[in-house]
Amino acid sequence: MADYKDIINQYKDLPGGIIEAYHAVQREYSYIPEEAVEAAAAAFKRSKAEAYGVATFYSYLKVGKRGKNVIRICESAPCHVAGADAVIAALEKELGMKMGESTADGKFALELTECVGQCQATPVITINSKPYENVTADKVAAILTEYK
Amino acid sequence: MLIIELIKLTINGKEVGAPTGSTVLQAAELAGIEIPRLCYDKDLSPLGACRLCVVEVKGNRLLPASCVTPIFAGMEVQTESEAVVEARQTILELLVANHPLDCMTCDKMGDCKLADYAYKYGVKDSSFAGATHQYAIDDSNPFIIRNLNKCILCGACVRACEELIGKDNLSYLNRGFHRKATTAGDVDYIESDCVFCGQCVAVCPTGALTEKTMAGQARRWDIKRVQTTCPFCGTGCNFDLAVNDGKVIGSLSNPNSPVNGRNLCVKGRFGWDFMYSDKRLTSPLIKKDGKFVEAGWDEAYDLIAKRFNEIKAKYGPDSFASLSSARCTNEESFLTQKFTRAHMGTNNCDHCAGACHAPSVAGLTNSFGSGAMTNVISEISSEAELLFLIGINPTESYPVVGYKMRQAHRNGCNLVVCDPRRTELAAEADIWLQQKHGTDIPLLNGLMHIIIKEGLEDKEFIATRTENYEAMKALAAEYTPGRVSEITGVAVEDLYKVARLYATTYKAMAFYSLGITEHICGTRNVMSVANLAMLTGHLGRPGVGVCPIRGQNNVQGACDMGALPNVYSGYQSVTDKAAKEKHQKAWGAPMPDKVGLKIPEMFEAAYEGTVKSMYILGENPVLTNPNANHIKEALEKLEFLVVQELFLTETAQYADVVLPGASFAEKDGTFTNTERRPQRVHKAVEPLPGKADWEVICEMVTRMGYPMSYNHPGEIWAEMASLSPSMAGISYERMEKESVHWPCTSADHPGTPILHIGKFTRGLGGFQPNEHIPPGELPDKDYPILLCTGRVMQHYNVTTQYSAGIAEVWPREMTEVHPQEAAKLGLVTGSKMRVTSRRGSVVTTAWVTDKVQPGVIWMSHHHSETPTNELTSPFVCDIAGTGEYKVCAVKIESA
Amino acid sequence: MAEEMRIVLRNYGKIDPLKIEDYIAAGGYKALEKAKGMGQQALIDEVKKSNLRGRGGAGFNTGMKWSFSYGIKTDQKYVVCNADEGEPGTYKDRIIMENDPQSVLEGMAICGYAIGANKGYIYCRGEYPCMVEMLNKAIDQAKAKGCLGDFDIEVRMGGGAYACGEESALIESIEGNRGEPRFKPPFPPVIGLWGKPTIVNNVETFANIPAIVDKGADWYKAIGNAKYPGTKVMTLTGDITNKTFVEVPTNTSIRQVLNDFGGGVAGGKKFKAVQIGGTSGGFIPEAFLDTQLNFDDMSAIGATLGSGAFFVMDESRDIVDVVARIAKFFAHESCGKCTPCREGTMRMEEIMERVNDRHGDAADLDRMGRLGRVMTKACLCGLGQAAPSPVLTTMQHFKDEYLSKFN
Ligand SMILES: Cc1cc2nc3c(=O)[nH]c(=O)nc-3n(C[C@H](O)[C@H](O)[C@H](O)COP(=O)(O)O)c2cc1C
Ligand code: SF4
Ligand code: FES
Repeated sequence: MADYKDIINQYKDLPGGIIEAYHAVQREYSYIPEEAVEAAAAAFKRSKAEAYGVATFYSYLKVGKRGKNVIRICESAPCHVAGADAVIAALEKELGMKMGESTADGKFALELTECVGQCQATPVITINSKPYENVTADKVAAILTEYK
Repeated sequence: MLIIELIKLTINGKEVGAPTGSTVLQAAELAGIEIPRLCYDKDLSPLGACRLCVVEVKGNRLLPASCVTPIFAGMEVQTESEAVVEARQTILELLVANHPLDCMTCDKMGDCKLADYAYKYGVKDSSFAGATHQYAIDDSNPFIIRNLNKCILCGACVRACEELIGKDNLSYLNRGFHRKATTAGDVDYIESDCVFCGQCVAVCPTGALTEKTMAGQARRWDIKRVQTTCPFCGTGCNFDLAVNDGKVIGSLSNPNSPVNGRNLCVKGRFGWDFMYSDKRLTSPLIKKDGKFVEAGWDEAYDLIAKRFNEIKAKYGPDSFASLSSARCTNEESFLTQKFTRAHMGTNNCDHCAGACHAPSVAGLTNSFGSGAMTNVISEISSEAELLFLIGINPTESYPVVGYKMRQAHRNGCNLVVCDPRRTELAAEADIWLQQKHGTDIPLLNGLMHIIIKEGLEDKEFIATRTENYEAMKALAAEYTPGRVSEITGVAVEDLYKVARLYATTYKAMAFYSLGITEHICGTRNVMSVANLAMLTGHLGRPGVGVCPIRGQNNVQGACDMGALPNVYSGYQSVTDKAAKEKHQKAWGAPMPDKVGLKIPEMFEAAYEGTVKSMYILGENPVLTNPNANHIKEALEKLEFLVVQELFLTETAQYADVVLPGASFAEKDGTFTNTERRPQRVHKAVEPLPGKADWEVICEMVTRMGYPMSYNHPGEIWAEMASLSPSMAGISYERMEKESVHWPCTSADHPGTPILHIGKFTRGLGGFQPNEHIPPGELPDKDYPILLCTGRVMQHYNVTTQYSAGIAEVWPREMTEVHPQEAAKLGLVTGSKMRVTSRRGSVVTTAWVTDKVQPGVIWMSHHHSETPTNELTSPFVCDIAGTGEYKVCAVKIESA
Repeated sequence: MAEEMRIVLRNYGKIDPLKIEDYIAAGGYKALEKAKGMGQQALIDEVKKSNLRGRGGAGFNTGMKWSFSYGIKTDQKYVVCNADEGEPGTYKDRIIMENDPQSVLEGMAICGYAIGANKGYIYCRGEYPCMVEMLNKAIDQAKAKGCLGDFDIEVRMGGGAYACGEESALIESIEGNRGEPRFKPPFPPVIGLWGKPTIVNNVETFANIPAIVDKGADWYKAIGNAKYPGTKVMTLTGDITNKTFVEVPTNTSIRQVLNDFGGGVAGGKKFKAVQIGGTSGGFIPEAFLDTQLNFDDMSAIGATLGSGAFFVMDESRDIVDVVARIAKFFAHESCGKCTPCREGTMRMEEIMERVNDRHGDAADLDRMGRLGRVMTKACLCGLGQAAPSPVLTTMQHFKDEYLSKFN
C-alpha cells in the first residue's frame, strides 16, 4: 500500500488541494488514517484543527478505519419509494451488521448515502462508487460475491 | 480633514445616518438601537451565522442578518417587527432545546447572552425538545472548563484563537447538528496545542467556556471588578481582577485595555494565583542562629534600623547598596532610591535592568539620546509594513505583542526574523535568517554594507539627522556579504533579500530584546540595530523605529524612577549640579556625588568586602544573575542583608531579616510598560502581610531616622512627577482617564508615543560603528556544546512557579536538545540529563527538538530545581555590565 | 403531443463524447471563435439579451451575472462550473457531461473570454468518479487541440455534501475548506474564489452558451416561455412509466411531461403528487399540473423548477412518510453553520418522524409551520431556506394525510 505521506505530497502544491489529497488517500486505504490528517495539515500548511474540520465535513470522507469495500445505499426519496428499505435489510442480513458498521474481517463497510444521481434505475447502491441499478433484496448476495 | 459621507436610512421609522460601509447592526447601534446578537463580536471577523440579529428590510423577502448586511441609501429597516420577533423567539427556542438548563448552578449566570435574550424574548422553555448533545465535559486542565453541551456554535472561540492569537487550535468538526467547535481530533485542551491564553473564554457568550478558578466562587453579579495592570511582562496588558468576599477569584478581560484589548496570555489570565500560594510570607523573619524565626514588625524594623545605621557609621555610606525591583511599583522603586540616596547617602542603587536591558539604555542613549523604545506597540498592527525582529521571541516572552505581530503578518505585513533558534515567528516568517549565536553585529553590518552598496540608504536622513556617517560607511565596507555569510552562516542571497526589503519598505519597524542585549557586546549590538535604522531613515515616524521590548512588567518604570546608580528619576544625571541641588532641596539631605555601583559591581564589591550591607526589594539575583555561585559567595560575605519578598527565595535565604512583600493585587501604584506608558495598579484585596511594600519601606526608613510619610501612592507619584520634567504632566487623576506615553511635560501635553520626531533627543543621531566581538566563551573540546538561555511563555522570571495552575502545565525545566545530540546520548524527550559548565552543574529534563541547531542546547531560567544560571557565562557586556546569558560552553550527559 | 427540443443535448447520441474530432465536426468550438470576434462587451450583451437564466436553480440572468465580474479590474478572475448536482432525483448534468463534455468546456471558455478569466474549475460531485475521469480526458483533448486557447480548466471533486452545490460553499470547497456557505453580499461575481471575481454557472447553463453564441440571442429567446426562454432538461423518477430524461421548451406543462414523455403514472395508478426541482421543491397536486415548466410560473404556484428533477408519486404513496424521509435528508446535509438550519432541520426531522410514527399531534403542525416560516426567511443560505418547502407545501395541499396520522 502506498504511504499516505507520498500520496498527500503529490497534491501539496495544488491550491486548496487537501480534499483531493484526502480522496486519493481513501482510494488507497478506503479511509483516512488520523496520522494522514496531520500529515495533510503539514503539507497544506493548514492548522491541524482545520485539517480535521475539512476531513469530517464531507460524508464521503472518513477519518479512522472502515471496511475495505464501501457499500453505500441511497436513501433519498426516489430510492426510498422504490424500496430501499428492503435492500438495506437484505444488506444488513447478508453482511451480519448494521448500517454505519464495518464487517469484522475488514472487507465491507455499509453506509447510507443521499442521492448518487442514478435515479433512472432506483433503488441504487454503490460499491466503491460503482453504481448498481434496480437493486432488489434478492440481488444483494450475488452483487457482493464479486467483492468477497 | 476627512469627511465621512453619511448614508441616510430609516430604522424603526426613525431617520438615521451612518458611514458608508456600515452594516445595519452598526447603523442601528449609532442610532442607539440595540439589535440582539450572539455570533457578532466587534473584535472578530463577521460570521453572520447565529441569525439572531435578523431584521426586516423593505423589499427583501428574507430576514437578513443585520451584522453582515450593508446599508444603502433609503433602506427601510424594522428591528423588532412581528416576523423578526417570531424568528428570534424560534431561534432562541431552538438553542434552548439543545442547551442544559442548569442556569441555577451555571457559573456564567448573570453574564450569559443566551439567558439575557431568552429573558428578553420570553423564551421559558422550548417546544422543540428532542435529541441533545451529550458531550463529555473537558476539565483536563487547571484553567478552563469546557462544557460544549452549552456551546451555541457562535464560533467566537474559533475566531479568537485564529484571529487574535493565531494559534489556530480550534476549528469545527463534523457538520449539521453534530458540528462542534473543538480541537484537532476533538482531544481535550490539555492534549491539544492550546497555550491557555484564555481568549476563547473571554469571548464565549455562554457557559460553554469558563474559568476553572471561578467555578462555584461567586455569582457574576456579586463579582467586583478591579482594573489593574499585569505583573508578568513589559507589554503592560490591563485586565480586571474579579474579587469576591475579599478574595481574587479570577482575571477578566477588560475591553478598554489600551495595549491589549481583551487579549492576555496564560500568565495574565491564569497566573495570578501565585498570590495565594501557601509559600507566601506573611510576617517578618529574623535569622537567629542560622534559622529564620517569625518576628513582629517592630522588632524587625528596630533591628534593620540599628544595623544599617551602625554599618553606615562604621564603613561609610558606600558600604550600603540597594536593589529595587523591576516587578514592584514605580512608587516603591522611587522610595527605594530615595532612601538610598537621601538617608544612606550613596548612589549604590540598581535593579535587574542591569541584567537584561541596561545595554538598551546605554546603547540607545548613545545613538539617540534616549534609552527607550522609540515607537509604540499599536503601530505593529496599525502602521508597520515590515517587522524586522532580531534576538527577540515575542510569542513566548511577550505573548500579546507576539500575537499582534502574527496578526499583522497574516494581514499582509512582512515579517523578517533573525534568530539562531526556530522560534514560532521564525517558522512563520517570510524570511528567517538563522545567524550563528553571537554574530549579530556582523549580520547587521553586512546588511548595512549591502544597503550602502546598492544606494538604498536614506541620504537625506543621514545628511540632516545624523553624524559620524563616514566612519560607519568605512566600517560597513569591510563587512562584505561573503565575509558576513562566513561569520554568521546566513546565505548571501538571504542577506541581500533582507537588506533590500528593510531598506525599501517605508514603514519598517525593528524589534529586539534580550537576544541582542545579553551578550558580551550587548550595548554594541543595540547600537548596531540603531545604526541600521538611521541608515534607512526608519525613525521619527509612525510604523518605524527601534523597539526593545522590555522583559519585566516594570523594568521601564524602575529605570524611570531612578533605581539606577547614575540617574535620579526621569534620567536626570546624579552628576548634574542642578539636578543634585533640586533633590537636596526637596529631600532635605545632601546628595552623594559619585555614580553608584551596578549590580555586578555591587556583588563584586560585596565579594571583595567593600559593600557590607544590602537591601533587596523583590529581586532574586541568585536565580537570575549569571554565574550564580559567585553571587552566593558574595551574599554570604555581607554583614547585614534585608530582603523584602513574597516568598523565601534563593536570595532571601541569605538574608538576616526578611520582610514579607505584597503582591500586585494587594497594593496601589503604577507600572510603566515597555512603550513608556505608566498605568495604574489598583488594590483589589488587602495585603496578606497587612502592609503594602511602599508602607513597609516608609515605616522602615522612618525608623532609621529619616521620616517618610505618604497617605497614598498617588502622593509618591506626585512627588516624583514634581521632580521629573519628562513625567511632570502625568498624574493619578489623568491615568484614571487616559494613558499617555512619557515624555509628557505638562498636564495639557498629549504625551509622546513616537520619539525623535524631527530631532533626536541628543540632537543628531550618532552612528556608532562596531566590529564583531565573538562571545566570551565558545564551545571547545572539553565543553563542546553551546548553551543559550531564555524564557518560555508559561513562565515569568519568578512568581509563576508558585502559580498552581502554571506549575501543573509547565512543572519543570525542559531543555531543548537537537535530535543529533540526543541520539548520541540516547536521550528522548523526558529523559533526565546533566548539564555542566566550568562554573556549575545542574540536572534537567530533555526535550528533543530541532528548534535548536545541532551542537546547541537551550534552557530557561524559571525553575529553582534547575538553576540554569549556575551554568551561564561570567562574561559581561563591557559597557553596560549585563551578563552574557545567551552563550556559554557546556557539556551534557544523560543523568 | 408535446415535442422534445434538444439544445443542450444537441449532440446526444450523435457523437462519441470522448472524440473531440466528432464535436468539432459537429460545429464545436466555432462559437468560441465567434465569441472572440465579437469582443467582450458585445458578447455579454448578447448573452444578456438571450435572457438565458441559470439552470442551477436560482434562475438569474446569466449575461447580467457575467457583467458584474467583467466590470471589475483585477489580476485574476475565475469561471466555475457547478457540476455538484446534489438534488435527489436529478442527473441531468451527468447526462450532459457524459454525452457532450466539450460543449460544457466550450461554454466555460466563452465565459472566461467574456469576463477576462483564464482559469476555470469544474466542481464535480464525488459521487461521479467516472465523470471526473471523463472530464479530464475531454480537457486533455481540448488542450491538445488548442481549442481552449490560454483558458485552463481543472476538475475538482466534491466529497458528498449537498450544501456544496450552493455556490459560495462550492467555492469554499475548491479552496480546500469545509463546504460552508458564506454570507452575501459580497456575491461571488465580485468576491469569489480566493477573493477574486468568480462566475459560478451550472453545467446546463454552460452547455447552452455555444448554441446561443452560434445562433444568436434572438433565436434563443424565441424558444419556450419568453420570461425564461430555451429548454429545460428534466429527469423523471418515482412512479412514472418512463424513468428517463427529456429536454423540453420552457412552455411545456407539467402534465405534458408526465403523460407525453413519462408515459403517465406507472402501473396505471392514479396520480397523487409530483415534486419538481429536487428534494427542496414543493409538492404539486393534480390541480396545478398545467403549469409551465419555467422559473416564474413554477414560483407562482409556490413550487420551483430547480434542477429539473421530476419525482412522481402515485395514489398509494404515503406523503407524510416521503416528507419525513426528506426531512432526514436536510438534517443530514445541513452544514450546521447557521442556527435555524442546524437546529431546525434536526427538529423538523424529529417532528416529522414522530408524526409519521403516529405519535404526533396537531400542535406539531403549528410547530412545523412556525419553524418552516422562520427557516424560510432567516437561514443563511438556500439550503435552510428551501428545506421546509416540502413540509409546508404538503401541509397545505395534503393536510388530510397528516391528520390521518393523528387517529
Ligand atoms: C443548497 C443548494 C444546493 C445547490 N446545488 C446546486 C447544484 O447542485 N448545482 C447547481 O448548478 N446549482 C446548485 N445550487 C445553485 C447555486 O448556488 C448557484 O445558484 C448556481 O450554481 C448558479 O448557476 P446558474 O446561474 O447557472 O444556475 C444550489 C444552491 C443551494 C442553495
Ligand atoms: S442554511 Fe443550512 S446549509 Fe445554509 S449555512 Fe445555514 S446551516 Fe449551512
Ligand atoms: S449576530 Fe448576526 S448572525 Fe449572529
